[in-house]
Amino acid sequence: MDPDGLEDALELARDRSQYQGVYVYQPAKSGKAPSERPSKRRKVSSTGNGGQQSGAHCFLPLLDGEETAECVQLRHDTYKQLWSEQEDKIQEILEDVDAGVLTDVLSFVRGTSPQTCNGCIPTALVTVGSNVSSLSRLLSRLNDQLITSGEGGVVVLESGDAPNLKTSLKNIIRAAVTNTEGNDGYQKFLTDRSGPRLLGYDLDLLHDYVQRKGTKKLVLALRDSEAFDPGLLTDLLSLFKSWLDRIPFTVLLGISTSVELFESRLPRSCVAMLQGKHFEVQEAGNCVDRIYESLQAEPSGKMWLGRNITSLLFERASDYFLTPEAFSRMVKYAYMSHFFANPLSTFLADSVPSVMSRGRFCEAIRNLPSFRMFCEDLVESGSGNEVLALLENNEHLFEQALKHFEAGQQNMRQIFQAVRLIYSCLQYTQGTKKTSFSDLSVKALSGELSESPIVDDMLAIVRTLDSKKLGQVLETLPKEMFDQISLGEIQVELRILQDKYAEFGPLRSEYNINNSVVKTTVVQQRIQLSKAKANLPEHDIEYTKILDLLIGALQEYFAETLIPPQDLFLHEAFLFDLRNPLKETFVPRPRFAIERAMTSPFDYLFSSPDASGARISAKQPATAILYQLYLESGVLVNVHDLWKAFHGVFETEQGKKCDDRIVMTLFYGALSDLKSFGIIKNSRKKTDHLAKVAWMGL
Amino acid sequence: MKRKLSDSGLENDHPVSTPKRLRTALVQANGSLNGQAPDSDVPYELPPTPHGQSTPKKANGIAATPLKESGLKTPTHKSKARNLFATPSKPKTPSATTPGRLKNADRSAKKKSARVLFEQDEDGAWDGSEQLAEEILQGDEPEADKADEPAVDSVEGGDKETASKSEAKAPKRRAGRPKGARNKRSPTPEGELPAHERYFFQNRAGPSKTSNTTLNKVPLLTHEEYFDKLGQFVDPCREEKEYLLSLHHRSFPQWYFEFEEGFNVCLFGYGSKRKLVHEFADWLYNRSVPTNQPVIIIVNGYTPGISIRSIFATIVTAILGDDAPSKLGAQPTEVLELLQSALKARPANEEPVTVLINSVDAPPLRRAANQALLARLGATPRVRLLLTADTPNFPLMWDISLRDQFNLVFHDSTTFSPFAVETDVVEEVQALLGRKGRRVGGKEGVGFVLKSLPENARNLYRLLLTELFSVMDDGHQSDEEGAGDGAKNGEENGIEFRLLYQKATEEFIASSEMMFRTLLKEFHDHQMITSRMDPSGMEILGVPLSRDEMEGVLEDLVLG
Repeated sequence: MDPDGLEDALELARDRSQYQGVYVYQPAKSGKAPSERPSKRRKVSSTGNGGQQSGAHCFLPLLDGEETAECVQLRHDTYKQLWSEQEDKIQEILEDVDAGVLTDVLSFVRGTSPQTCNGCIPTALVTVGSNVSSLSRLLSRLNDQLITSGEGGVVVLESGDAPNLKTSLKNIIRAAVTNTEGNDGYQKFLTDRSGPRLLGYDLDLLHDYVQRKGTKKLVLALRDSEAFDPGLLTDLLSLFKSWLDRIPFTVLLGISTSVELFESRLPRSCVAMLQGKHFEVQEAGNCVDRIYESLQAEPSGKMWLGRNITSLLFERASDYFLTPEAFSRMVKYAYMSHFFANPLSTFLADSVPSVMSRGRFCEAIRNLPSFRMFCEDLVESGSGNEVLALLENNEHLFEQALKHFEAGQQNMRQIFQAVRLIYSCLQYTQGTKKTSFSDLSVKALSGELSESPIVDDMLAIVRTLDSKKLGQVLETLPKEMFDQISLGEIQVELRILQDKYAEFGPLRSEYNINNSVVKTTVVQQRIQLSKAKANLPEHDIEYTKILDLLIGALQEYFAETLIPPQDLFLHEAFLFDLRNPLKETFVPRPRFAIERAMTSPFDYLFSSPDASGARISAKQPATAILYQLYLESGVLVNVHDLWKAFHGVFETEQGKKCDDRIVMTLFYGALSDLKSFGIIKNSRKKTDHLAKVAWMGL
Repeated sequence: MKRKLSDSGLENDHPVSTPKRLRTALVQANGSLNGQAPDSDVPYELPPTPHGQSTPKKANGIAATPLKESGLKTPTHKSKARNLFATPSKPKTPSATTPGRLKNADRSAKKKSARVLFEQDEDGAWDGSEQLAEEILQGDEPEADKADEPAVDSVEGGDKETASKSEAKAPKRRAGRPKGARNKRSPTPEGELPAHERYFFQNRAGPSKTSNTTLNKVPLLTHEEYFDKLGQFVDPCREEKEYLLSLHHRSFPQWYFEFEEGFNVCLFGYGSKRKLVHEFADWLYNRSVPTNQPVIIIVNGYTPGISIRSIFATIVTAILGDDAPSKLGAQPTEVLELLQSALKARPANEEPVTVLINSVDAPPLRRAANQALLARLGATPRVRLLLTADTPNFPLMWDISLRDQFNLVFHDSTTFSPFAVETDVVEEVQALLGRKGRRVGGKEGVGFVLKSLPENARNLYRLLLTELFSVMDDGHQSDEEGAGDGAKNGEENGIEFRLLYQKATEEFIASSEMMFRTLLKEFHDHQMITSRMDPSGMEILGVPLSRDEMEGVLEDLVLG
């Protein structure tokens, strides 16, 4: 243990804050400062020297601190602007996704009353499946709608709020009142009433409130209804039933399994009190895909997520039931990382100030791998002078970079347009199992899409389509595409052809199975099957020509657009593809971190080289030494032997100097650390033995 | 230790000498290179006294390897080994000499090896004992074979493998398996095994023998001594730890940015993060404008008895100041709702509230209900939450919906600083060693409590102690092995509840079970007895004292 830590502990002990459970932070008194002064000064200087106190105070100047304040500010503002645009898109999608269920539920709430339900409690059963967060979105919007129209409100009850009947009633009443009146209103409501004071869980209170406010609908939503105690739920419902003539309850049950399972847990008498309707919320996966598409494939897109991040995001989305919110938060973090740590992200600003061309910025560009690749290509194509100019002239480099940056962005947009095209084509050509947009994007972002079997299959199927279907496919393709490929002409030609031969019905190409005949010949008592093209009528031959034209154009287009984005110069600025900050921050591996700290502490403690040689040495922290000894033990560990081994480590290195008792204190500390990790426990099998509970890497 | 043993052996042995001295030198050379004992075919003799000192070094050449010196091997084996070898079984052989001993040992090792090879079993394959057996038997081959062995070994020289191999070999020299053999099995299997296979490898059934040594002879630390000695310790990694901390300092702006963007932060990794958190609070405070100071609340999750309600209440009073209602409500949810409405009412330009929670996974906060409430706090807009977690498996506390509410980003902030405040080290270790009772004050403490109790209670405790002694003595006679360590402790052995009650009624100590229980309750409150259920469901009463202490207490009771 370091004396500094101890000193610190002792010092802190004086103000006793460490033994206080919770306290309000008070800035350190000046008397305590000396030990912390250096670190503080460092902080202040690092945030202060940019002078960006205004908005971007959390962004640090990059490029070894030499980035100018304007650039830092610009990065910050660009991030804010870009993300707020994206966030709006996400919100739109979420609202759109919820809109269907919301209107259904709302009309159900408005349209039902105990009278229409034969005296039962009107109940909406909402199955959410894995889309956990959707219900709270739904409820809050329902609440807003009901409050603004003055009809009533929504009371959300979670299983944690309902340990028993009294508390849950109290919570319901309080939530209902505070929903419109606020906390003070609730207090007033409790006290400012004539007659005897009612207890907090008396439904008379709620009745009173409903009368005063003229509430027509009081929706009681049980968010996780499966987690409620069935007995409690029955009691609650029967209470509501008996108050139904005075308080207009509507119950909304959030169900994550299935209605049948939920029903089977309740007694019949309870189920008989409910009458209602079943609503289903869309699955999260679909929603996530839509969000991703809107973020990446927007024609006005500026910045993109790379292949690694995309696959990481979707891996997580499928493995952990990622909610759309959590998904977009991860995307947000990716955006944050890009702007926080990449000085080149300034390029994404609407107008890039030319002052940037000075100083380190150009140096940073020259250090990019993509710049190197770009130069190599230039040299190969024989424009060595250009390379020289790029290397020596800042202004020129900056100009070129800007140009290429925009070209690269354009390229990315085209890639995603192509992905969209393929995606919408696939809707026609693929049967039951549809490839998702994200899968296509991952392939496109790694530059494999144009040669992938998906595209080949798609084109093969397009070949066999008849003219009617082809017309439909062409109709649905995004309109922007028509300028880039000669799709328009093809469409026109197709229409002319269709009109011309309208009497023959749909036209078929020679690739169509109906237009090939199977010949059967008997050779030496064996049947030989041979396929041959049937003699095609004129119109089909013409149709085939058009089809060939189309396929050719598509293939050319794909080969041209679907290039690996990593080949683009300056892709570092508009393509964020670092797996790591994202993975580490959202999928932590705390156990691995601790095991690593214990087994090779010098990974963390950058130390003099001599210490790293021996596997176990007294220079390591005590807990690390003990952990490594622990790793070598069996299921049962004799504490005495462990102590001897531990002591031995110090004895061999320090010889006579080593103080047994000090080593003992270290041993104690290490042992208690291991215990708090939960990897050892006392064993009853033998005296002074420990049981090993965890194994490394398992 | 081993060296000493050999030395003492040599002093007796030196007069022995035999004709084939020439060969000895060769063998010696081989042996010292190998770190193995020479095989018995070679008539192995000790050189005359002056050289004698070198022999044990060779014979114990292994002892020089770092592993051995580190004391990985328990000393008991060696002392037992000495006893075994010191008694010459065959007077004809020059058994008194070291080489003789080695020869004997070799022979027995060979016998055993043959047996191992004969009864090849699964476990042997795991242990590598078969391989070892083969090696030993091969050592029997003519001298010519030996010639290339040193070369082989010298290639591996200095390698740890050699060290461990030779070490594994050393105890083989006596009859019977070494007791600690289980411990020496390498925990990491050779080759790359998939994770599940590794689990079974490490969990495989086998001789799980550990030595019988106990900590009885090692004086344990008291609180005072612990802190006293801790103050004297100089940390060799101090600079590195400071450097590590300074690296974490550099992420403060990043954490702040994450806060700004609506994320909450969770720090994990080994080491106390209390200091880091405190410095982050300093940083937050210093970077703010003096007119608009942030509200920062620090929570120490490790404090025993901390309640979620008190956390919420502190936040509320910190925000509202004097406007806080005098009565906040008893339920944490009520306080939380009050807090949420108070936050909503705050002017938008004020800094959000920052809550820094140390050790969110500490036992007092670990309960699911507490975590759910904290998650709701984290989901509240304009509340920023920084959590630190110390245990390796803390994410298990949160299911998806909690994780969703918390909205955390995680950062590895390994600090390596000791958990000085978070855990009561001495207490923890004593609990771990099953010596909890000593904390009551051991014999003195129990005696003191007994003095203040009525006559009846004292009699009952005397009865309990006497019964326990008789149980222990029975155990001693019937089960030799268990008595060795088990009987030392009054907690391990126990007396059945019914039996004690019966005896108590017989002695007119308690007339009813009610009364009996009341008396026991008193003991229980002072942690003077322990109670556990045995497998058949009977309640077993014990005393958390060592035998010596129990005797002392009984003496005082009887005499007083």
